[in-house]
Amino acid sequence: MKTKNITAIARKEFYHLLRDFRSLYLAFAIPLLLILLFGYALSLDVNHIETIVVDREKTDLSRDFISSLEASPYFQIIERADSMKAVINALDHGRARLAIVIPVGWTADLRADRKTTMQVILDGSDPNFAGISSSYISGLIARYNGNLLADFLNRHGMQKISPPVNPQIRVWFNEEMESRNFIIPGIIAIIVIIVAALLTSLVIAREYENGTMETIRSLPIGAGEFLLGKAAPYFFIALTDVLIAVLMGQMLFGIVMKASFWLMLLASSLYIIVALTLGLLISSVTKSQMTANQTAILITYLPSLLLSNFVFPVTNMPVVLQAITKIIPATYYIEILSGIYLKNLGFGLLWPDLLVLLVMSSLLALLNYLVLRKEGF
Amino acid sequence: MGWLRIREMVRKEFIQLFRDRAVRSIIVMTPLIQLLVFGYVVNYDIKNIRVSLIDEAQTRESRFLIDSLTAGGVFQVASIPASAGDMEKLFLEGKADLGIRIPPDFSNLIRRGKTANIQVLADGGMSNMAAVRISYLSAVIDRFNTSIIHELYNRDLSYGRIDARIRTWYNPNTDSQKFFVPGILAFILMLISMLLTSIAIIREKEVGTMEQLIVTPIKPIELIIGKTIPYIVIALGQAVVITPLAIFWFDIPLAGSVLDLFGAACLFLLSTLGIGLFISTVSKTQQQAMMTTFFFVLPFFMLSGFVFPISNMPIIVQWLTYLNPLRYFLVIIRGVFLKGVGLDVLWEQYAALAALGMVVFAGAIKRFHKRLE
Repeated sequence: MKTKNITAIARKEFYHLLRDFRSLYLAFAIPLLLILLFGYALSLDVNHIETIVVDREKTDLSRDFISSLEASPYFQIIERADSMKAVINALDHGRARLAIVIPVGWTADLRADRKTTMQVILDGSDPNFAGISSSYISGLIARYNGNLLADFLNRHGMQKISPPVNPQIRVWFNEEMESRNFIIPGIIAIIVIIVAALLTSLVIAREYENGTMETIRSLPIGAGEFLLGKAAPYFFIALTDVLIAVLMGQMLFGIVMKASFWLMLLASSLYIIVALTLGLLISSVTKSQMTANQTAILITYLPSLLLSNFVFPVTNMPVVLQAITKIIPATYYIEILSGIYLKNLGFGLLWPDLLVLLVMSSLLALLNYLVLRKEGF
Repeated sequence: MGWLRIREMVRKEFIQLFRDRAVRSIIVMTPLIQLLVFGYVVNYDIKNIRVSLIDEAQTRESRFLIDSLTAGGVFQVASIPASAGDMEKLFLEGKADLGIRIPPDFSNLIRRGKTANIQVLADGGMSNMAAVRISYLSAVIDRFNTSIIHELYNRDLSYGRIDARIRTWYNPNTDSQKFFVPGILAFILMLISMLLTSIAIIREKEVGTMEQLIVTPIKPIELIIGKTIPYIVIALGQAVVITPLAIFWFDIPLAGSVLDLFGAACLFLLSTLGIGLFISTVSKTQQQAMMTTFFFVLPFFMLSGFVFPISNMPIIVQWLTYLNPLRYFLVIIRGVFLKGVGLDVLWEQYAALAALGMVVFAGAIKRFHKRLE
């Protein structure tokens, strides 16, 4: 294996990239865009639930209840209506996603120490939203009932009851409970797949399509040298992307890496190699850019997005898919990154994941080599 | 306009596409695999909350608390670590969602009418899931507290309280699949139509056959129509195959009309094919075309309300989502599937989709036209 040969191929590939300025610039623009979007715009956390209120009572008590709703950061009253028709309209059009109907006789029931019903209607179409907002509104009503109980005891001259059990809740790993804290590490894995696997899936197929593969094969260049040369420019682009993402996460969003930077760099390098070898393998097997890019989307991009515990929880998947997640490289990389980012884990607990990435990259590299040898390199 | 020339162009395109076995299987397999995997993966239902439990009290009351926790089937005691240190290790390894530690003096405090503090540790990793888990736990504790108070005071505490009747509309069991599967249909249509169109045209340029096409008597507009028709047919064909699959395999009832759905799909394709054409005019290589497509697809996907709710976005970004055809199509496809509404309620969405589609498509054709001349 000669370094001269490798650099020659790498330089050629790099010129291709430079001449194709937009691919290069998109290789940096897409990561920036993703990080900005996820940092600023996208969140799975629920607040400002658009609420429509029908108050058929208009008493002090009903107004008091509504103002407790308004005081909560989770609810935002967008409309006060008088009829169910307005409620149906608001929900059908998606203007409101929660409706609260205070029925006639509500105040009288409460004042007479009777249980009273209240209708709460939720737009259940988005289950993530429905689950969270349903628990927020139940919690709010439970607290309001607590006040009513205290009031009752007061009136009857009884001592205030202290709640028997009080949970002291601590949240680990993501104390602020913000979804971007767990999404940003996952986004880095997606960026690497786009740059290192999708882009490289075209590079050998292109040589086949343009007929230049014949020329390269006739040169005194080995399969290993050819692969290394092809991969090198993309390795550096992907690594730069990772660094940009880490830096932006830190500077713009204050998502600070808790554990070692060097561990992150090691894990990223291994993962980039896995992605590159996967992309190159697809490229040399399919020999056509269109097929290569569709195949790459199907076996690299989508699995990394869907089956990697990125935003879709693996524990909720059917057993078969859970088994498949074990062969997706992004699963291990995201586990390492969230270990480093959120849990402050070190090499001691992360080495099994690193080992898996190492084994994957070696196997894929070998497979690449064998395929090229079979093609007459 | 020569219909014969367009027909021949369409035929050539189909032959070229289907000659390739790999392309054939991609056109059939990709949407199927995407639908199946996506359909099972996108699931935020809360079930099987793994609880790691330390019960230092071991009394009647503590067992009652644990029983009321596990009664609903949502919480499962997954591990009983020996110490707090062991519990923390389970959290680091990601083997527990919630940790509960009941102190030794738990029952003593409760019986004396005092408050017993229990320690709760939550894995906040996926914050949206953590929020729901914590509130489920709070609800269990609320119920536990009520029954203990009744037991302790042993007298009628029937104070006036609100009994909330929470009803969930459109998706009564808040089933994730009902929400996401219709969205997946939209996403698959977008990805296939945009990517295939741009790449097919670029390939013609790269191989050099575009020059040959230009010197034939075919007019630019005929060329464009001939080039896009195959992809309209393929995209609609895919929709026709995967929609019944979604309905029957995932058991998603179609509450509205098929016609409303089909009309919206056609309007939506106008935009995506237009963008595909546009990308083909600004790209020189397939690599460029693919990267540019991703530059469009990713924000479209993320700013559509597919997974991430639009109402959570900053107001400026919310405005930007009005330029996103997927946004409108998602509202329509979900409205038709889940709410059973149609053109009468969603006409604004249809109008926006049509307007956007026509502007994009006309712009793309104009640009493509100029490029050819």
